[in-house]
Amino acid sequence: MRGVRARNESAWLLPNDGTRTSHGLRRGMREFADDDEVDLVIVGCGAGGSTLLQRLARAGWRVVALDAGPFWDPDADWVSDEAGSHHLYWTEPRVIAGDDPIPMGSNNSGRGVGGSMVHYAGYTPRFHPSDFMTWTQDGVGADWPIRYPDLRPYYAAIEQELPVAGEHWPWGDPHSYPHRPHPVGGNGELFLRGAGRLGITAKVGPVAITNGRFGNRPHCIYRGFCLQGCKVNAKASPLITHIPDALARGAEVRPDAMVTRVEIDERTGRATGVHYSRGGVARFQRARMVAVAGYSIETPRLLLNSASERFPAGLCNDFDQVGRYLMVQGAPQTAGRFDAEVRMYKAPPPEVSTEQFYETDRAKPYQRGFSIQTVSPLPITWAEHVAAQGHWGPALREYMSDYVHWSCLGALCELLPQAENRVTLAEQTDQRGMPVARFSYSRCENDRQVMRAAQQVMEDILRAAGADEVITIDRYAHLVGGARMAADEQHGVVDADCRSFAVPNLYITDGSVLPTQGSANPALTIMAVTARAADRLIAGARAGTG
Amino acid sequence: MTGISGRRRERFPGFDVVAQASKWDPVTAGSVLARLGPQPDVSFFTPAERAVAAALLDQLLGQHEEPLVPAAQMVDARLAVRQTDGWRYEDMPEDGQAWRDSLSALDADADGRFGSGFVTCSPKEQAALVQAVQDLGSGDWHGLVASHVWSLWIRYGCTAFYSHPQAWNEIGFPGPAYPRGYKNPGIDALEPFEVRDAQPSDNPVRDGA
Ligand SMILES: Cc1cc2nc3c(=O)[nH]c(=O)nc-3n(C[C@H](O)[C@H](O)[C@H](O)COP(=O)(O)OP(=O)(O)OC[C@H]3O[C@@H](n4cnc5c(N)ncnc54)[C@H](O)[C@@H]3O)c2cc1C
Ligand code: SF4
Repeated sequence: MRGVRARNESAWLLPNDGTRTSHGLRRGMREFADDDEVDLVIVGCGAGGSTLLQRLARAGWRVVALDAGPFWDPDADWVSDEAGSHHLYWTEPRVIAGDDPIPMGSNNSGRGVGGSMVHYAGYTPRFHPSDFMTWTQDGVGADWPIRYPDLRPYYAAIEQELPVAGEHWPWGDPHSYPHRPHPVGGNGELFLRGAGRLGITAKVGPVAITNGRFGNRPHCIYRGFCLQGCKVNAKASPLITHIPDALARGAEVRPDAMVTRVEIDERTGRATGVHYSRGGVARFQRARMVAVAGYSIETPRLLLNSASERFPAGLCNDFDQVGRYLMVQGAPQTAGRFDAEVRMYKAPPPEVSTEQFYETDRAKPYQRGFSIQTVSPLPITWAEHVAAQGHWGPALREYMSDYVHWSCLGALCELLPQAENRVTLAEQTDQRGMPVARFSYSRCENDRQVMRAAQQVMEDILRAAGADEVITIDRYAHLVGGARMAADEQHGVVDADCRSFAVPNLYITDGSVLPTQGSANPALTIMAVTARAADRLIAGARAGTG
Repeated sequence: MTGISGRRRERFPGFDVVAQASKWDPVTAGSVLARLGPQPDVSFFTPAERAVAAALLDQLLGQHEEPLVPAAQMVDARLAVRQTDGWRYEDMPEDGQAWRDSLSALDADADGRFGSGFVTCSPKEQAALVQAVQDLGSGDWHGLVASHVWSLWIRYGCTAFYSHPQAWNEIGFPGPAYPRGYKNPGIDALEPFEVRDAQPSDNPVRDGA
């Protein structure tokens, strides 16, 4: 691990006295003035934004990242409790529409430094090589302007920085992980047992949870609250994997700063900085370059809200691409009932996965596929699962009293990108007067077929493990797309290096740029794409072309 | 706070989540234990709305005997500070207004069908009124999509109820787990503070709850 420390010292900059935040580092943080033209201002301090911040700070850039939410301190701000974690989610108003409207909030997006990875489950699989060319290979989706080998070194680098624990991974581009697989709890055990009996290969991992000490980050204590923010510092999020190193290298993180508009010089067509609201005061940060990394909903919303004379339909939206091709993964959850006690809350929810059904199977009527993972919902989320079966009143209570006997799997189905699945601005405005996002989503027939197939496999696995009953709830997870990368400006918003086609000094470095989503959880890929973009940016600046 | 008493057979006899509170970190303990004390004196609902909400939520959550989880108060407090889930269906108003509209619609249904407000209907009549909304599926109910109203009610109701230690006692869930964590994960493995299910084959699916 010595190699990692030389590249990214974050884990060693955290305290090792049982507390989780290096307050000294934050107190000593460099602060830029609004009228100081920084090299780069980043909007959003999540998966993409934080990675970019750390990389550029290391290269000596003067960078500041603004986040709409707080600068979290896991000791003081997070609780080991489901309902008490509501403040981790982005709960400003959003409107959902379409044939299959996607509920948001706790299920989709976060706020504050660390972004959605603060409360993500922690699965960090790579995309498969086929994901970058689904159009060529399967006649669906889109081809990326980069291919898997372009990302391979970045995947490996980020896997070391998080770090990722898991068995040797046989799917996609086979690879190993820096940390050994974790022991599994009851849910993982049943998944492995059921899959084994059906001849389905399932593997432990890949999870961004330390197995053993990593720098000053301790081992996971298997308490099951990963989706509520890890109070242990065992589960990776940029708050502990990239922000400390960025601060130590002179970057600024400015929390509680909501960006409302990207400013463009009408004459030069270049971005000049961002308007933001902090403590109720409207401010403007000048910058030589701007990177937007606010998540697949807020990034398109911000671009659309940054209309100007030059961009009447919204920033970078000359070809009506902004907000389009937004994707979610179909994430049906199937639970199985066992007379034995599973107590699935007693381990991290992310434990075991299979990618055996990830690729297109020519024998099937649908294109692309799905993966299956353990999910282990806590009581409130489990109640949603039970209530979705139509139970209420005494029946709901009765089912719920059976909680300790259930095991739960979740699928991630690749749903196809479609132009009409998109973010637009609603008439409704937020408290600052900024129009809220309206997200319309409808599935196509291929999408429905993949979700049904995934449900069938999950039911088979749980029954093979010994479940006498199974129940399923249809869900969706992981928004990506909305400002995708493409070969040209008629098909996307940014190029292969995440630079916008329309504004030469404007970058987008978050999940919005993904043209397809595979059946893999997206955070690792978002970080890898951003790390690559950062390298290109740094190289370009050195060459004088940036 | 002691285990659920009175209703049906107890599955986890003697299990008492709050007895372990000294093992929780102080921030979590503060947040969870606050649910047991007096609730904040803020209200979104009018007193009349609050009464309908309480009767509705007790129906949805099967709360017919003491001790009750104060679900309506918890929902009301959330609405008062506009703590939504961060989204609404396009065909629904914002959550607070949607609660208001749906409670008044429920009252109107009660009046039309039983000639009395929802609160003064018998529990059986109340249950029939609630069932009628669920039965509409995605049909129209007083100008709202019934299933979207149902989703709102159930979501707020379950979030309140299953955040309460009394509900955790009933389902065998030990609640907060920091800094202690778990030492014995795995099938049929218990921590010293967990209690085994006394009716392990009481399967609501098989037995038709
Ligand atoms: C419950 C749940 C479980 C998940 N599990 C997994 C998993 O196991 N594995 C996985 O890979 N992924 C998982 N994800 C998804 C993953 O967390 C996200 O895909 C990823 O974090 C997105 O990265 P991002 O950079 O696009 O945005 P984010 O990480 O969400 O960062 C965006 C940041 O921008 C800020 N922001 C937004 N707008 C503005 C603005 N206008 N001004 C200032 N700041 C702004 C936000 O506050 C936020 O901090 C999960 C998500 C959820 C909700
Ligand atoms: S289970 Fe482990 S990784 Fe997850 S929140 Fe708990 S300590 Fe952190």
